[in-house]
Amino acid sequence: MTGDRLFHSLRVVFLTGFIFFCGLALAGEPARVVRPVTHPGVSTNHLSRNLLRSVFGMRLRTWKDGPPIQVFVLPDDAPIHNVFAKQQLHVFPYQLRATWDRLTFTGTGQSPITVQSEDEMYALVTSTPGAIGYLSEARIDENVRVIHVD
Amino acid sequence: MSINYLRRLPCVSLRFCIALAGMLFLPTTGVADEFIQKDGISSLRINGFLSQGYIKTNKNNFFGKSDGKGSLDFRELGLVASLRPVAKLQLSGQLLWRRAGQSSRRGISIDFGFLDYSIIDVPAGEFGIRLGRTKNPLGFYNDTRDVPFARPSIILPQSIYFERTRNLALASDGAQLYGESRTDWGNLTVQFGTVFPQVNDRDTEVSILGANRPGDLKTKLSYIGRVSYERPDGRFRFAVSGAQVNAGYDPGVNDFLDSGALEFAPLILSAQYNAERWSITSEYALRAFRLRDFGIQAFEQKFTGESGYLQGTYRFAPKWEVMLRYDLLFTDRTDRRGKEFAAATGRPAHTRFAKDLTVGMRWNVTPAIMLATEYHRINGTGWLSSMDNTDISRVGQHWNMFSFQASYRF
Repeated sequence: MTGDRLFHSLRVVFLTGFIFFCGLALAGEPARVVRPVTHPGVSTNHLSRNLLRSVFGMRLRTWKDGPPIQVFVLPDDAPIHNVFAKQQLHVFPYQLRATWDRLTFTGTGQSPITVQSEDEMYALVTSTPGAIGYLSEARIDENVRVIHVD
Repeated sequence: MSINYLRRLPCVSLRFCIALAGMLFLPTTGVADEFIQKDGISSLRINGFLSQGYIKTNKNNFFGKSDGKGSLDFRELGLVASLRPVAKLQLSGQLLWRRAGQSSRRGISIDFGFLDYSIIDVPAGEFGIRLGRTKNPLGFYNDTRDVPFARPSIILPQSIYFERTRNLALASDGAQLYGESRTDWGNLTVQFGTVFPQVNDRDTEVSILGANRPGDLKTKLSYIGRVSYERPDGRFRFAVSGAQVNAGYDPGVNDFLDSGALEFAPLILSAQYNAERWSITSEYALRAFRLRDFGIQAFEQKFTGESGYLQGTYRFAPKWEVMLRYDLLFTDRTDRRGKEFAAATGRPAHTRFAKDLTVGMRWNVTPAIMLATEYHRINGTGWLSSMDNTDISRVGQHWNMFSFQASYRF
């Protein structure tokens, strides 16, 4: 392949990318609020954004009164996961995935547990002591504790 | 040698297929993830990955006989388990089976296996110790270099993540202290290990001593460390890592080499910027290399290599990304074109540098399946393996490489 042809191929690749990008920007994201929630037995009501990131980054492993933290997440490509990561953690899902992969595949930590739906998330967070996950606002009720992020 | 290699192939492929078939029957979300006990969630996690690559070059061989029809001799299979019986203690281990042409270890190896005790774990930070075989914390990618999903490309930038001396760089046995400080202005992580690197294998010996010698390389106490800083939101990440790797040589029978020593001291600077749709990554390395006391002038070597790359990743659609990278290697930074080396040894100058322009694309079909392809245009053969390219006269300076890889994880 000559330099010219390589350049041409690159141009095609980036143009295609640009078109995709524009399409996505127009489509936008569903306007909804997703909040971190815990098992009702967890005694924490507030977490700083940085601590919440440490929890979902699997670096902070125990609640301040001692019990282990159990983290639940939806799959990487779930829209609610995307909203939660950006809205509450201020990170992108690919960064979380990279962090978890580094922990898992160097043995220096563990990944969160992936659930397949919000129903499953609700069921596990309400039944697992020390659990933390996230739910869209419409799914939150008195059986979970909402964590306020400041 | 080559006949033995051909005979082995079907048996190796069969074993791989059986393992692959076994893994495909496992649920995609992780075996232990679904394993919920009465009193909560099991702390045992089992994850793994497998991949099959295809590599085609127009000349020179990379990961098998890639010249001509191409090579399928690139497969990775890993199984990792971790157990956290109490919050402060984790036991982790990974088994790795890998084929990458002639220059990869055969059979299953223990990639890492260690006990991690967290002495302090509070919101402001943590401090702990790891005992056993740990991955060497070098640069951004060394400790996950064999995991296709954790790499930015099928083949890592070879200027820093050499395939040739991978076993030396991979993991080492000993003790590692680690600490992390978490503040509102960012997280600082430090790892420091006093370890014994893995040098007792043929690839490392060929790469360092030019051939499989009658004697053996012996590991010696070495030091390794990494300091990394990242902004709380992970937008900026920086790391400085380094090592002082020491090894000795035990001469064999009728060996013309004395009991010499190897000292290798890489220093790597790493930086990354992450935005929603794109990331820019760059790493720069200086590698001080010294051989001494082998009793032969040709083995008295002291030089410093230099490498670096600049890489851009663009996520143009939710499951798609493209990658562009320029990667430079100089084996000896005082002889960047290899001319002095060529004059002194009669070997080609292009074996002392490599300039690699890579363009790649990746499709994350599902969170568990990834397809990737990339194309390299390379000037120089500085990181080619002499085990895949035994006849130096047939090695060409300007070459290109196409590769494709399918990967599965659970």
